Amino acid sequence: MPSATIKYFLSPRWRAHFLVLAWCLLAAAQVTAADADLKAGDTIGPNNWQRIQGMVGENFLSRVKAGHTIQIKPSKVYRPLKEYADATEKYSGKVRLGANGELQGYVAGQPFPKLDLGDAQIGQKLAWNFFWRWLGDDYKTGGAVKGGKIIRSAIEKNGAERRADLVSYFLFPRTRYNLDPKPAIPGYEHIDYMQLRVDSYPRDAAGTTTLEIRYADPNRADDLYIYIPSIRRIRRASTTQRCQTLAPSEFNLDDINSFNGKITDFNYKFLGEKKMLANLSQEHLPFNRKQGDYLPLDEKWEVVDTYVLEVTPKNPDYCYPRKLLHLNKMTFDTHWTLMWDKRGDYWKEQFGMFTPVKLADGREVWSVADVVIVNVQNGRSTIVTATRAYNKGYPATMFSLATLESIMRGGSIE
Amino acid sequence: MFSLPRKLLSPVIAIVVTLLLSGPVSGESLISEEWETFLKEKVSFGGFLENTSGLSVSHGSRFFNTSNRFIMNRFTVQPEVNVDMTDWAKFFISWRFVKEPRYNAEAKSRERSVTYFPAAPVKPLSNRFYDEDSFKPWEAVLDLRPDDQLKLRFGRQFISWGETDGIRLLDLINPQDLTFSPPAAPNLFNLDETRIPSWGLRAHYTVRPVSNTILEFFALPGSLDEAEQRVDEIVGSNDTGDRKVRYGRWSAHPETRLFVGGTNRFGNLFSDPLRVRLGLGSCVGAGCIVIPSTVRELPDAGDSWKLGARFSHSIGKLNFGLGYIWGYNPQASDMVFKVRSLSCASPVLAACTIAGAAPTVAKLALLNDRTSIFAGQFNYPVGDAFNVPINTTVRGEMAFLPDKPYNISKFPGNFGLKASAHPKYPNGVVEKNTLRYAVGFDRTTLIPFLHPDDPWRAFNLSFQVFQSIIFDHEDGIHPFSTAERIKRFSTTLTFRMGTGYFGDTILPDVFLAYDPEGYWSANPAISYVPPGNEKLRFSLVGTLYGGRNKFKSFGLFDEKDSIFLKMRYQF
Repeated sequence: MPSATIKYFLSPRWRAHFLVLAWCLLAAAQVTAADADLKAGDTIGPNNWQRIQGMVGENFLSRVKAGHTIQIKPSKVYRPLKEYADATEKYSGKVRLGANGELQGYVAGQPFPKLDLGDAQIGQKLAWNFFWRWLGDDYKTGGAVKGGKIIRSAIEKNGAERRADLVSYFLFPRTRYNLDPKPAIPGYEHIDYMQLRVDSYPRDAAGTTTLEIRYADPNRADDLYIYIPSIRRIRRASTTQRCQTLAPSEFNLDDINSFNGKITDFNYKFLGEKKMLANLSQEHLPFNRKQGDYLPLDEKWEVVDTYVLEVTPKNPDYCYPRKLLHLNKMTFDTHWTLMWDKRGDYWKEQFGMFTPVKLADGREVWSVADVVIVNVQNGRSTIVTATRAYNKGYPATMFSLATLESIMRGGSIE
Repeated sequence: MFSLPRKLLSPVIAIVVTLLLSGPVSGESLISEEWETFLKEKVSFGGFLENTSGLSVSHGSRFFNTSNRFIMNRFTVQPEVNVDMTDWAKFFISWRFVKEPRYNAEAKSRERSVTYFPAAPVKPLSNRFYDEDSFKPWEAVLDLRPDDQLKLRFGRQFISWGETDGIRLLDLINPQDLTFSPPAAPNLFNLDETRIPSWGLRAHYTVRPVSNTILEFFALPGSLDEAEQRVDEIVGSNDTGDRKVRYGRWSAHPETRLFVGGTNRFGNLFSDPLRVRLGLGSCVGAGCIVIPSTVRELPDAGDSWKLGARFSHSIGKLNFGLGYIWGYNPQASDMVFKVRSLSCASPVLAACTIAGAAPTVAKLALLNDRTSIFAGQFNYPVGDAFNVPINTTVRGEMAFLPDKPYNISKFPGNFGLKASAHPKYPNGVVEKNTLRYAVGFDRTTLIPFLHPDDPWRAFNLSFQVFQSIIFDHEDGIHPFSTAERIKRFSTTLTFRMGTGYFGDTILPDVFLAYDPEGYWSANPAISYVPPGNEKLRFSLVGTLYGGRNKFKSFGLFDEKDSIFLKMRYQF
């Protein structure tokens, strides 16, 4: 064997390459572990948990092994709204990826409808398809929940729970499909979205309001303003520390909507297609569960086709060196999100259920319903019931500091 | 027949009404279906019930300490109601009911330390001094939105400008009640709990929302407020001419009590003996060192119009605002009094002018009941600087007060006094342009070794610098109530750090303040939120002060160190 080759196998480089290779093999194995033979009416429990191995998170699987049973139901398929499909057809031809993975020439719709799974940039394209999936022109998270608010339950390892209520408003000012002006609100072409989040319960948190602005410029950090009712002032916050726990929940800033990071701050790798278990038509809202436990008790699951996307950060100090998204092939929403820590240990597991909701014109669309995140290392979990009401026609003026300055405790801002 | 005292009746009714309103609707409803639907969908109730118990831990001179080991036992009930009437009209109303029991020790201490001429029984601090039992709404605002750009708010409200935390600089539109709360202690009672709302109008007009270009205007006709005189009076004085004791637990005792060895070693700022004023010749004998009683003509808080306007805008990452405030500024440290007249406490003038047997009574009037303040503020998030991650938000605010009045005296004073009337300014008042500013730095930081339970739970760090600059400064400028000179530059530094442990069930927070002239305060707190009940919160809070001089800065509270237990139930 040539000495250069021997040196290579003895070098740290070889070990690094070996680890990468092993990782890829493991990931590929995981991707292909799905059991596609599940049929509506099948019951999965501790005796046949192998049938769903790889189709759910490891932690969820361990609960099934330990006695939890689930039922399989027929799959529900959502189709994109006509306006979104039209925009995709109209604008996608001009969309390109820049040198740093940024999106160029994008106007509206799905950026990359024609996917070549062998494309070297397929991961980045999937990430942009996820980011620009249909989410309406605006929405109120919690707007379709009874009471009109997001209900968040933080569950301790011992089952103790704390509740919080909040609402969240999103406006997508440059990708508008139904509401005028279209396709963008003049002057807002540089903004991807604006979010207004208002806490309403418990009382001391009520009125705490954040205004977050995501800019299209890949080099510009988000803006984040927080109105703090205890001092009745607006404070500016740095958004660069995106990994901090949003206690008492187990979410961090980038866990919102499964993955809320700036697309250009990460690298993406397509790991393959995979069938996963999901719930696209949640039966109960919020789902029934035992007090102190996050497991949905009488929800049925269905098999969905997903793309598996591995997300790795460009910043080596980022909290998740590896995050796996399982993207619905049709809607590009995520069903399962799995996260590992810097030691390579499995850390968090997130799954989201969906439910049909109606637009004002009666057309059925989909919305996230209950979302669960479990920290498998500390045993805490968080459930949010967050069904959206779309296309409410929120004015851009609502997403300004004037709104924050007029918040009342427990009051509505609509 | 048994009857509740009238003053007790209001809180009791309020509690009952609140409990009734916040209870679930069950059984056959007593109200019509339309009203029930309206109440369910449009009306929301909230509020809190709180007890704060305080224990004084310092044991210094009775002239300075809180006089009472069991310093506070404050019960507060605050019901709040939101009514979302329409898309463009909303209403919020709240009430605050407070009851504190009688503090015998404090009253007795006052009796020992306050003297009157002619000798008379001292009136103790009223047993209801800290109580709030009026059904007058605490806040009551009607929000109207005639269109997307214009927001109007009418009613009794709070208006807070500025960027600072813990210490107020521009946040002086509403008066602040410091009788029950110690200063620089945001972990005990935050600013929202100590401000007093004012009746008025506030309007926001969003010119261009994408750049947060906003015009704001407010008008507060102070005549509607009828606030009590106690507002902001944390600094005592020899204001005993009307034989009322109106200083709470945090007030320094009047300097009249520092009459030591026949002379006033510390103050006697208005000891311009009547004899001299009356042209009876130069002062001789004991009459020259008498300590005047004073009567202050203090307008009710907000007893005048207050107007303000502000323009806010964002350019890139910079957000800033420029504004102007005109009207009564109720900050205790800004109050300046002018000698209106002098008289003798004794009907026999000679007792004041010759013998010194009776004190001169100086009638003082608030001078700066109209203030102009040019205001500015900004915030700017700094990401990387020279490839070094800063990740800090820089914020600042500025207040320029043209011709701000100050009390001024001659140091050292005549007759061996620390200070006495200034020969150049016989009224004891001088006007100086003054600039105050604050710069703050906020960031969240991960400190994994301090957070073994969750290395990704951040610490919130905040550092602030406050500075006041008196232009064309003259020696002898001092606060109204003490003979302590204010230098050209006054500086205060603050630092705050807070985080949460075990899923934010344990929440430590500390607020520190430091005055480079040798004063400091510390306000540590640790709160417990039971993991199974988000409605409850228990906090153990300390308020500690230190300084080389008991008449200045945080030294005023040097012997008032206390610990508190706060128990709050939110409903």
